[in-house]
Amino acid sequence: MKIMVDILQLLLLILGAPLVRGIIARFKARLQKRRGASIWRPYVELFKLLRKEDLTPPTSSAVFRLAPVLLFGCTVCVAAFIPVAHVSALLGSRGDFFLLVYLLGLGRFSLSLGALDGGSAFGGMGASREALISSLAEVPFLMGLVALAILSSRADITGMVAWTLHQNIFNISTVHILAFTSLAMVVLAETGRMPVDNPTTHLELTMIHEGMLLEYSGPSLALIEWASAIKLHAMLALLIALFGPWGMAAGGSGWGLATALLLYCAKVTVLMVLLSVIESAAAKLRMYLVPDFLGVASAVSALAVIFTMWVKR
Amino acid sequence: MGLVGIATEKILSSFSVFLFLTIILLAVARRISTSVLLFSLQSAIITAEVLATGFQEKLASAYLVGILIFVIKVVAIPRAFFVLTKRLKTVHDVKASTTPSQSVFVVAVMIYLSYAAVHSYGGAVRAPGDSLAAAIALILTGAFLMVSRKKALMQVLGLLVMENGIFLAALLTTFGMPLVIEIGIFFDILMGLLLMGIFMFRISDTFEHLDVSKLRRLRG
Amino acid sequence: MGPIEMAFAYLLSVLGVFVPAILIVSRGARARRLAITLILTAGVAGGLVAVSSFLWQTTSLLDLSWATPFPFSFAVDRLSAFFLLLVCAVAVPVTIFASPYFDLHYSEQQRRWTWAFFSLFLLSMIVVVTASTGFAFLAGWELMTLVSAALILIEGDSPERRHNVFVYLLMMHVGAAAVAGCFFLFLPYSHSLDFGMIRAAGAAMPGGIRAAVFLSAFVGFGAKAGLIPLHLWLPRAHPIAPSPVSALMSGIMLKTAVYGFVRFAFDFLGGGPWWSGYVVLVVAAFTGLLGILYAIAEHDLKRLLAYSSVENIGIVFLGLGTSLIFLAHHSLLGAGLALVGALLHAFNHAFFKSLLFLGAGAISSSTHTVDLNELGGLQRRMPVTGAAVLIGCCSIAGLPLFNGFVSEWLIFRSFLAGSSLVDAKAGIILPLMVGILALIGGLAAACFVKAFGVAFLGRPRSAEAEHAQEAPLGMRVGLWMLGAGCICIGILPGLLLRPLVSLVQVLVPGAGVPEETLSIAYIIPWIAAIVLGTSALAALLRPRARMARTWACGLPGLTSRMQYTSTVFSKPIRSVFAQVYRPDRKVEQLPTDQPYFPASIAYQSVRTTSYERVLYRPFVELFISLAHRLRRLQTGNIQIYLLYIFLALVSLLTFLRFQR
Repeated sequence: MKIMVDILQLLLLILGAPLVRGIIARFKARLQKRRGASIWRPYVELFKLLRKEDLTPPTSSAVFRLAPVLLFGCTVCVAAFIPVAHVSALLGSRGDFFLLVYLLGLGRFSLSLGALDGGSAFGGMGASREALISSLAEVPFLMGLVALAILSSRADITGMVAWTLHQNIFNISTVHILAFTSLAMVVLAETGRMPVDNPTTHLELTMIHEGMLLEYSGPSLALIEWASAIKLHAMLALLIALFGPWGMAAGGSGWGLATALLLYCAKVTVLMVLLSVIESAAAKLRMYLVPDFLGVASAVSALAVIFTMWVKR
Repeated sequence: MGLVGIATEKILSSFSVFLFLTIILLAVARRISTSVLLFSLQSAIITAEVLATGFQEKLASAYLVGILIFVIKVVAIPRAFFVLTKRLKTVHDVKASTTPSQSVFVVAVMIYLSYAAVHSYGGAVRAPGDSLAAAIALILTGAFLMVSRKKALMQVLGLLVMENGIFLAALLTTFGMPLVIEIGIFFDILMGLLLMGIFMFRISDTFEHLDVSKLRRLRG
Repeated sequence: MGPIEMAFAYLLSVLGVFVPAILIVSRGARARRLAITLILTAGVAGGLVAVSSFLWQTTSLLDLSWATPFPFSFAVDRLSAFFLLLVCAVAVPVTIFASPYFDLHYSEQQRRWTWAFFSLFLLSMIVVVTASTGFAFLAGWELMTLVSAALILIEGDSPERRHNVFVYLLMMHVGAAAVAGCFFLFLPYSHSLDFGMIRAAGAAMPGGIRAAVFLSAFVGFGAKAGLIPLHLWLPRAHPIAPSPVSALMSGIMLKTAVYGFVRFAFDFLGGGPWWSGYVVLVVAAFTGLLGILYAIAEHDLKRLLAYSSVENIGIVFLGLGTSLIFLAHHSLLGAGLALVGALLHAFNHAFFKSLLFLGAGAISSSTHTVDLNELGGLQRRMPVTGAAVLIGCCSIAGLPLFNGFVSEWLIFRSFLAGSSLVDAKAGIILPLMVGILALIGGLAAACFVKAFGVAFLGRPRSAEAEHAQEAPLGMRVGLWMLGAGCICIGILPGLLLRPLVSLVQVLVPGAGVPEETLSIAYIIPWIAAIVLGTSALAALLRPRARMARTWACGLPGLTSRMQYTSTVFSKPIRSVFAQVYRPDRKVEQLPTDQPYFPASIAYQSVRTTSYERVLYRPFVELFISLAHRLRRLQTGNIQIYLLYIFLALVSLLTFLRFQR
């Protein structure tokens, strides 16, 4: 029974991901006084790509073909860690957050290799910039999660969520505020949103994540786009689960799950609005200012870890 | 207890968190207007704390002091800053000598130091240790702003942030200063700011800029 | 003599006596093949000795004291068995690889001597990890240095190579002096250099001597392992050695230093003084960070791998330092966890670093260069080799499903466990170390994306790369044996974790089984199943692809020069960490009458690593100036020398007079 619920949560994260992207795009359009495309547009695009031909450069090797599927597999596995409506996930109680972060790293590694295999300049450019940003973003990601793990004395995601559920929502926790700030900045960097990277740019010289996709087409491109949408959805779900899980169902009752699901949709909508506002209001940072941005996130997360010492004793 | 009672309790126990947030944001702020807004936010938080203390300890003078702080530090002084910026036609950049991430690291170290200093005192203070640490961190941040920002206006702002911290520390360690002294301190600050404003105009007129790192006539 | 003792005697005699004798005496190819087969059998025998000693807890193996002036005996306890397994498990694939490699690269004469020294090299490393007296240990230690220097010089003899070998020998002997000093500090208390007596004496020594022993062990073994600032020899010696020898040096020789340090700090001393863990932690953090930063900036593949070895040794010592901190606070479970992580990382590093060095050897056999900027597109031309090197790159980047991840994960979890220590210092420093290890890991992943991507993927950047051929069968077998090991430990870590936990329970008496080792052994196979299952499903459902040329923005076609090179790939990271690199840059322009159209522009960027400039040069200059001043004592005048003797006599007499 619990397995069914966990699998349904995983499917929600995977299948709902393009919808999250579509809604964010729509919010941004409305903020910029445009009408915007339909929120179901990403699904249409995925189907279109799946029907198209898959092209491979003649100079590439098997790595080019394998990279998208490995990226997709890793991202699906990451989504299996995160509880959505029920305080459990497929891998949530045995897998800890170090595994989560490094699985994302494995996906990114394979995509970078695929980009370099394309044999064009833009793939190398995207991979080199992504290497810089990801190596610097891992520090605040792990340290923010470590701060939360120290407070809850648990390293698995479900354990941390369960601990947070027992806390009083009206107690303001310094550690959580600092950790949320740094993790939010990391999510912006990891998922390639403004101000770190522009997901809708058409200029190759400004691309970071998009640059790595330029050689891919058809079903491979569909897999990569879907994987990045799942990553965004999973990161948002992770933020909700770690910082605002109240309302999640603990038992197996149908009503409890339904209300938890509705609450999740409300929370995710709040985060999507926040993300759209940040994306529309902030200008994209020059690439050599991104390490500074991530440096601020690292310092804030280090401060969060330091504060756990005073909170725990 | 009532809603007001719960609210005051929450304010008193957790306002230091928000002060720390304003400190970090001051470290990364790049424009003078942002820094001034953060200063007025800080002063608003301190006002809330003073009013909450007044409600809990049932001191009438605290209400008066709170209103005074609000009027002077949250409304008057920031407005004066904005007017000054417009009149002086300065560029908005804060001209920091450290990058934002370096500033945040320095601020993190300062917060750690202030906590370490408070812990070495033990239980000699009336208020929770967090608040006193926040006050000391404010003093250190003010000093850091004065040292690392090259615009003359930021020197004044650093002084004001320091004054915020000193005031908060005094409030927390004593049982409220006599009203006369508080009013005296306020007028002191006002006079000082007035004088500094006049000097800004003079400096700007004479040197055509307000960059203190270039004002080195005192060199021997 | 039981079977284990006989196998060990076989191992030593084959490697030490028979193989060199065969190679020196006879010349033909058959003799060489016999020698190689003997080495392989010796390796397998060694592995069997290791496993059986581990399972049956035998100790004393061989006592050669009747043949030597000092006590010279061998014993294999659990720690030695683990490292003996490491040596043999890496030596066998490297030998299989080296056979076609040396055939391709060396002349007949060179080959005989190389194989002779190769077998002696393996012998020396086995002696070091199985020695049970100080003399045997030091003899093996010295033999390792000398034989590896000989192997480097057989490859080629130029003034630059000789200078590098000189630096190597110099630093190794400084380290050896410190290690010898370590042993001799025990002498007044143990009255012999037998390991059993030293262990018994270690408990009763005063604190000052223990601190001195710890420091000299740290300096001595740290110099051999390559900790900053004593790592100067690593990027000089490892790249110029032939690839199989580099694999042995980086894969095994560095681990013997780790073995020595663990033997002294944990077995003999039972944990150092209270500050020992912090010192090790700080040095290890610097080593890891600077190592990977220098590795990223390299475009010579072998120097990149050498600096990456420095980084990985830093990670091993991060685990060891954490374990020492836990020991000092009597938190035995945490100490056990960190020690398991450190030892596992040493084992994993032996596997994937030798794999990568052998891969570099395969590349250089095929294309005669290891400069990344000249390679490219090798995956299409050498698919089997490339796949094995890819496994090595993924392992060294610490990615899940490969072995590097498991050990780094254990070290991360030990940092997290540090937060529950009561001491405020440790309780904060250890979680903050998570950030440092995260940065090191992220940079390592970036470095090996660059290394594999530029070398194997894309288009070939030179004619040699374009005409590269797949490596011979022996090389491929050797590579894949190591690769299979990496994947095995990566997906089924429990195989190695259970024995390691029992080993650690001997070293840190009282430590229980850390439950992290159990949970990772449980979850990784599931994660492998989900990731690989989903990927396979996606790959099967995906239609076949059609070949189509890459869009070249309307130009006639893409050339290989339009790709990113290794130097450019690392440019963003080098810019961010510019304070570390500080290259000397020179731009020369030949001017003409028109200032904006020069005749030619030359750009030169020379990197002297900053530690050389800051630490070594002032020291060296100080010593040279002191030496110059002391030179005045040697005037060459015989009367002055007689005066010195006279002065010495007079001062001795006055000293004796005032002694009363």
